[in-house]
Amino acid sequence: MAANKPGKTAQGAAGRVGWAPYLFCAPVMLYLLVFQAYPLLQELYLSFTQTSLLSPGQHDWVGLRNYADLFEQEEFSQVLIVTLVYTVACVVCAIGIGLGTALLLNMPFRGRGIARSLITIPWAAPPVAVALIFIWMFNGQYGVLQHLMNFLGLSAGMEGWLDNPSRALPAILVTTVWQIFPFTSVVILSALQGVSTDLREAAVIDGADRLSVFGAVVWPAIKPTVMLLTLFITIWSLRRFDLIWLMTQGGPIGSTNTLVIELYRRAFTYRELGEAAAVGMVGLSLALAITVVYFRLTLRAERAAGH
Amino acid sequence: MKTTTLDWRQAILMIVILGMLGITAFPIYWMLVTSTTASTDLFASPPHLLPGLSQWHVFREVFNTTDVGRWLLNSAIVAVGTTVLSLLLAVLPAYALSRFRFAGIAIVGLALFVTQMLPEAMLVVPLYAIFGQLSLLNTLTGLILVNTAFTVPVITWILKGAIDGVPVDIEEAACMDGCSRIGTVFIVVIPLIAPTLAATAVIAFFHGWNEYVFAQTLVSAPELHTASVGLAGFVGELSTPLHSVMAIGLMYTLPAVFFYLLVQRYVVAGMTAGSVKG
Amino acid sequence: MTTHSRFPRLSVGARALGAATVFALTLSGAVHAQAKETLSFASATFAEAGRGDKLKLWVEKFNKSQSAIEVQPLAMPFSTLAKTVFTQMGGGAGPDLVRFDLIDYYAAAQAQRILPLDADIKFSDYTLTEPNKYLVIDNKRYGVPFEISNYQLIYNPQLLKGGKPPANFDEFLAAAKAATGDQVFGFAYRATMAESNGFWQDLCNFVYGFGGRWSDDAGKLTINSPKVVEGVIAYKQMYDAGATPKGADAATYRRMFWEKKLAMEIDNGGVAGIFSQQAPDLPLQAAPSPFPTRAQGLILAPLVINSNTKHKEAAVTFVKWMMQPENQKDLQSILGAANVATVVERSPEELKARPWMKVYDDQSPNSVPQLVKGFEARTPEIQQVILEQVLRVLQGGAEPQKAMDQAQRLVSTRVLRK
Repeated sequence: MAANKPGKTAQGAAGRVGWAPYLFCAPVMLYLLVFQAYPLLQELYLSFTQTSLLSPGQHDWVGLRNYADLFEQEEFSQVLIVTLVYTVACVVCAIGIGLGTALLLNMPFRGRGIARSLITIPWAAPPVAVALIFIWMFNGQYGVLQHLMNFLGLSAGMEGWLDNPSRALPAILVTTVWQIFPFTSVVILSALQGVSTDLREAAVIDGADRLSVFGAVVWPAIKPTVMLLTLFITIWSLRRFDLIWLMTQGGPIGSTNTLVIELYRRAFTYRELGEAAAVGMVGLSLALAITVVYFRLTLRAERAAGH
Repeated sequence: MKTTTLDWRQAILMIVILGMLGITAFPIYWMLVTSTTASTDLFASPPHLLPGLSQWHVFREVFNTTDVGRWLLNSAIVAVGTTVLSLLLAVLPAYALSRFRFAGIAIVGLALFVTQMLPEAMLVVPLYAIFGQLSLLNTLTGLILVNTAFTVPVITWILKGAIDGVPVDIEEAACMDGCSRIGTVFIVVIPLIAPTLAATAVIAFFHGWNEYVFAQTLVSAPELHTASVGLAGFVGELSTPLHSVMAIGLMYTLPAVFFYLLVQRYVVAGMTAGSVKG
Repeated sequence: MTTHSRFPRLSVGARALGAATVFALTLSGAVHAQAKETLSFASATFAEAGRGDKLKLWVEKFNKSQSAIEVQPLAMPFSTLAKTVFTQMGGGAGPDLVRFDLIDYYAAAQAQRILPLDADIKFSDYTLTEPNKYLVIDNKRYGVPFEISNYQLIYNPQLLKGGKPPANFDEFLAAAKAATGDQVFGFAYRATMAESNGFWQDLCNFVYGFGGRWSDDAGKLTINSPKVVEGVIAYKQMYDAGATPKGADAATYRRMFWEKKLAMEIDNGGVAGIFSQQAPDLPLQAAPSPFPTRAQGLILAPLVINSNTKHKEAAVTFVKWMMQPENQKDLQSILGAANVATVVERSPEELKARPWMKVYDDQSPNSVPQLVKGFEARTPEIQQVILEQVLRVLQGGAEPQKAMDQAQRLVSTRVLRK
């Protein structure tokens, strides 16, 4: 996060601020009000009603019934679990692999510049196209992955991937992580490059081995970046829709049914906008809760470190 | 003189790196292979591993039999429009958040952050009604407007970080004749954060290029379909050959990838200028 | 300090945006300013290879015959047509004419999103085909069948041992197993949620074939009735037979069929039509589905008029034009092995060239819509519950009777709130 070092703000003489900041922020705030705040409030209202997609103007007020129904349904606890598993796995894998890749790309070797460019290709690929090619690669009879497993003798018959309840979520995870780890590795790599070489050398001179250098010098320097990245990946994972919907629509047997997928299905297949809105609100609350926890933790850490 | 230990380590490093590059590039390569495999051979075992060099006509066919050209154009319009509008809207608030301490700074910051959490699928129905009232349905302009709403928060944050890295003195020095505040922003600060602007331009461009849910619901006229919608329409379609679909997928992916490779060095520099140090 | 002065960058951007908006609005305005009234007609068929273009030409014929009306075909992908159109209808817009699936028809009619046609079209003037009766809700017709397609067994005799189609379910399993091997599969059907609508159609074929129905005439749910469970067990037996390409979607296995990698499938007449067009030398034949009863699912795609339309008379004119005998005949030959709203005889040459068409035509009296009678508009939710339970049987080792009991319970309590 940016450090607001004292004296770096442009206020200069007190009171010179005037209306400028408000005017500067006004267009964007207005914009967000129309395109995000208002729809969000609509959704909040809808969550207390029963409304059909075909007649979105007619709302039957039902109070908390949508929420009560959600929490009574056994399937909804599965939705929450799948969402959590997916999110945690995405974060751990994306950050872990991203960190490893960044460390690798930070080492000197020939063609490093090219490698750094090429590694980011997955991030540039459109999710719709990625979904289609991975669906084909995961095809249980003709997909290249199945051919590979047959070749290695690892497959006992054709178990399938995206249609197999125990393998669908891992398949989606592989696709997701493939798409996002370049982003995390690029961000972590930049943070790594900001680590002071003097400190590093000092540690090495003191006789520290690679691992200790990492623990004592590198990690503390990149930790803020990694923490912020974790937060963003978490929130984006809670939001991820295109890939999952196109690949499995939440199946089989709900094994890839995250909150957003459930929301979409309730809105557009069952045409129940009220229930869908309730699901959306649950998802939003989850994201907000995670954010609050994150900021509490980082503020505490910063205070402890004397910032 | 290199010792043998170093060579061995280098070799392993190279192997690992090549492996990673292989994994990241493979699906794209596979799109190429699948699109250039004749229909009968798609079900062959063992599978064809190399692109069929005689099958390039599939790309020409796809242009003639589907609307892919128009789809790509529409995607480009939406992407460029989103980029331009997002940057324009984000610059001033980014400056304000960076330079000023004012009441409400927390609210602005929070608002920008909260909007990151909202899934498109959740907002699309109310937005549909709003767009109806504003006569924005079935227009690419509408898509540009709604995509911008989702990119401006991130871009504002990133630009704020970059502006944090620009010393205030530069502003004051360059504008000793008393420029207006806005003048300072555009004449002095912007050029200094050019790499970050490039980075955020890329983010906005990708968002517009890749977006699917709104493009699907808010636009129905086939001549206004973006490539994401056009391509997704092939999922489950009865008789479209897989190799055509992959050809279209490739044509949809490569421009984004090439564009990215051109500007990627700015992206890396720009994304982290000031914002994540310390 | 000036905060409102124009800056080069800002005005360029604003100008561009302004221009784009004006352009878009002008374009939409220009459409309305034309002398001809233009209507949009949305259908997934327009996007199909082969049939799509022919259908567009058929619509052109109407346009040429009219001086004041023009109907513009709007191709929409099958998987999202209903979602998109419903969202648009709810928002007060949407295409003027739509070709829906039966399941969507019920929902739209219940929500008064489509217009009843009895006042404008005298249905007694026409010889309607049997399935027309399924479009009557509360004595009103809200649409006219555009395409009616039955389900039968399609097979490639060259890939079947003995070259003969199976006559009952046991033979069916045996034939499927026997035909599998050496990169060929015996049979294919859908069993994934990613294709839930197709999965539902295939399941209905099995269940109906064994005599099961989802609800009875008294309006009671019969999801866990013995015949339904038999159908589910049969579905599972086929799944376990190892004769199907598991997880393959319909687009893939239909392609496999026409690449001669698949021996049998149970599919609708429209698909058979596409096969014969795309692969004329394919030895395609049809036979009644190998189940104890002849009941199979029915694709009934009605043409409806959006109640939001501003061109009601023009839309009715199009529907009436469609129902004229000559145009019905043309439509039927474009659609292939499907039937249309009125009875159209097939020419002897057609039947000779494509004998499987007769098998499909003969199925009509036995076809049953793939809906839950009495709860038609709630079918999507009911469908989701049932399909999930069937998947538990197929992949989770659940016991069929228990799974269907669970489905019955869930549908009663959750969906119908009884």
